[in-house]
Amino acid sequence: MTPIIQASNIGKVYPGGTVANDAVNLTVMPGEVHAVVGENGAGKSTLMKILFGMEQPTAGTLRMEGREVTFPGPRAAIDAGIGMVFQHFSLIPTFSVYENVVLGAEPRAGIRFDRKKAISDVRALSEKFRLKVDPLPPVGAIPVGQQQRVEILKALYRNARVLILDEPTAVLAPQEVEELFVALRALVAQGRTVIFIAHKLPEVLAISDRITVMRGGRTVGEVIASEVTERSLANLMVGREVALRVDRSQTDGPLRCAVEGLRLVAENGVTLAEDLTLNVHGGEILGLVGVEGNGQAELLEAIAGLRQAAAGRIALEGAEVGTLSVLDRRGHGLASIPEDRLAKGLAPGATVAENLVATRLDGPRFVRRGILDLKAIRDQAVNLIERFSIRVGGPDFTVDTLSGGNMQKVVVARELAEQPKVLLVNQPTRGVDLGATQFIWKSITDARDRGAAVLLSSADLSELLALSDRLVVFYRGRIVAAFLNSDGLTPELLGSYMLGLEKQDPATLKAALR
Amino acid sequence: MIAAPNRWAEARQEAGRAIAALLVALIVAFVIVLSTSSEPAEAFRTLLTAPMSSNRTRGYWIDDVAKLTLTGLAFSLVFQARQFALGVQGQAYVGGLAAALVALSPVGLTPLAIPVGMLAAMLAGAAYGFLPGYAKARFGASEIVSSLMLNYIAIRMVNYAIRTQLAPPGTGQLTSPEFPPQAVFPAIVPGTRFDLGIVIALVAVGVVWFLLYRTAWGLKLRLVGHNAQFAEYAGIRANAIMVSAMTVSGAIGGLLGSVFVQGKAFGRIAIDFDGNLAFEGILIAIVARSKPLAVPFVALAYGYLRQGAQLMGMRSDVPMEMIAVVQALVILLVASQFTLPGRKALARLFGRKETAT
Repeated sequence: MTPIIQASNIGKVYPGGTVANDAVNLTVMPGEVHAVVGENGAGKSTLMKILFGMEQPTAGTLRMEGREVTFPGPRAAIDAGIGMVFQHFSLIPTFSVYENVVLGAEPRAGIRFDRKKAISDVRALSEKFRLKVDPLPPVGAIPVGQQQRVEILKALYRNARVLILDEPTAVLAPQEVEELFVALRALVAQGRTVIFIAHKLPEVLAISDRITVMRGGRTVGEVIASEVTERSLANLMVGREVALRVDRSQTDGPLRCAVEGLRLVAENGVTLAEDLTLNVHGGEILGLVGVEGNGQAELLEAIAGLRQAAAGRIALEGAEVGTLSVLDRRGHGLASIPEDRLAKGLAPGATVAENLVATRLDGPRFVRRGILDLKAIRDQAVNLIERFSIRVGGPDFTVDTLSGGNMQKVVVARELAEQPKVLLVNQPTRGVDLGATQFIWKSITDARDRGAAVLLSSADLSELLALSDRLVVFYRGRIVAAFLNSDGLTPELLGSYMLGLEKQDPATLKAALR
Repeated sequence: MIAAPNRWAEARQEAGRAIAALLVALIVAFVIVLSTSSEPAEAFRTLLTAPMSSNRTRGYWIDDVAKLTLTGLAFSLVFQARQFALGVQGQAYVGGLAAALVALSPVGLTPLAIPVGMLAAMLAGAAYGFLPGYAKARFGASEIVSSLMLNYIAIRMVNYAIRTQLAPPGTGQLTSPEFPPQAVFPAIVPGTRFDLGIVIALVAVGVVWFLLYRTAWGLKLRLVGHNAQFAEYAGIRANAIMVSAMTVSGAIGGLLGSVFVQGKAFGRIAIDFDGNLAFEGILIAIVARSKPLAVPFVALAYGYLRQGAQLMGMRSDVPMEMIAVVQALVILLVASQFTLPGRKALARLFGRKETAT
């Protein structure tokens, strides 16, 4: 059988001299789900952009069904039957589902946009491929999982025979992932081909037929999914043995952070979270579980002092901090690893050394009478770069020259440079490769073992289950369930609470909250 | 192994970019001169050489450089905090007025006239820079709009004060009387405008550099400029930093006013005294990428071209309008993210390997 897509010896060197792809080979057979896995920076995205015509390869050839092709732009790739769904959707929130699907290729009656035909086309398409979504409501009003279906429909509406999905499960709850997989199987059963980019290995193994592994810009192997295990795949990806387990906390420390009856309100008056009550003790990690946007991030912001509470109280080490500034709270031993390192965690244009002291510019250690102690700043940077094995040329390089994983290490290094009493962590390893993930996890658990109370929020359930000692589940701004972490706790069980399908009764909840 | 980023290579690259743009601008200028002048070669020669033709013209040039450096610094400071406050012109006017009031008061006859005049100008400018900063921090007013409006208010108010209060009554003059000699900057080269102003400007470069790169305030300011959200998260009071940046920038703007009125060029205060020069600091700051140490070099090159164009306007038959066009072209080309087209082709032509950047 001829492969539907065959990329041979693809090379991509960016003008800056960065080699993103080097002799990459990818062979995708028609009617299969083909996963491409690799750490961040392994070159997966570049390869996909080349397949989709967004980047031009500097070497190698691309064949579709045996014929050599070149895609000068995405338009050419779409015309050839390739569709791509990006991690960040390109949908217009105020337009309806069907408008988004047909946009740019609208059915016409004369010069008029034939809305009736558009709606019926979209409905037919969604039934054919088991991608259930109502064509009429505006895209902004439907959940993320359905928005993703709209993106897939968009590609199918343009007759995509090969569908490239870039980290499609990153934004989904486990049940939604299951539904996505059902749809993907339906697609494949009807002769379409799916290329699936991911770095969550259990999912990759569950859905794909064959897997191409990339590392450092090269393909290091192609395996059949049924013949490998999670561990062997991880080793292939990283090139060395990895251990993805961390030890549970042994200690039961003093109460460090208490939140009581907290209510948070957005500027437009919408309630973001209410009736939040929880305690976190030294030496434990409390996992905040929930689909993004259910109040976890807002709770962390409120504790950090970046968001005013409408009601309730927050106490650190027994002292109420409701009115204290960010800096004063940091003075109480609070440290925080924010959700989006580029938006909040770093000043990308400033140097590594400057970023590492940004939170301590009012102490005597780095500033004397208003003058910077450049030597102390540099020494601490050199020290932290080594301690957290940040890969950078030196303390004077700007942060924007670093890879995602190393940027995150800069944030972690700054926040853990001094042992915190309370540590807030939000999405610590999003977009971070496996090696750095391991390191960051270790850093967090080390801080816990030295007595920090950790609040951890993550979109990655396996991360929450791996790290947390206890978990609370958020749904629509409320805590709906609390668990002690044990091996019996599954993503599926958490998922049913995350989606509001189940609810713990108040007594159980209270008991589990301690 | 600890490496340092190659700052020199970066600087060379930036300088090369600016110079290439300058050359293209000159070529375009030449075409314009060619099509509007009866003696194009002569006119173009004036543009390129006139500022160096005598001590007097060299004085004009250096005087412009001093003023352009100060306004460039004032803009660089707020730009580094990523505030688009455009109030330097207004600050220069209130600063100039404050310096003039000192110079025309009894203090103007004492040796304290120069330092007190400068100080008064800086205080007035700082206060005027503080206003849009405070309005932004307190009420969320856009600093672009408020600083521009404050410029108009300052220019008109100061002009009004000069015309009705400072000008000798009944003469219809639009300037104040000359300041006493104690209140005017001493010339470094006698008989020219080459005066204390350039020294003040260079000291200001050093001070601003020190503030930005050696003090905690400066680091906070730059962090706010890089990412205000991050600064807040790190516990830096971004609003306070923003207001203080605009205030300090205002002090430099005020100082510019003092250099204007107390300099040899005027030695008095006249209406519309800045001739829009204060605004050209935006260009200086953009080309210098808001780096204080680059500001005087950019001012040097730009000031030369500015003087050349003005002298060409006076000494040749190139129409005044075209002078403005040439100036605007230079600004456009230098300030845009400009790379010389056909660089690859040129590199191939000269058989050199293209170096990866």
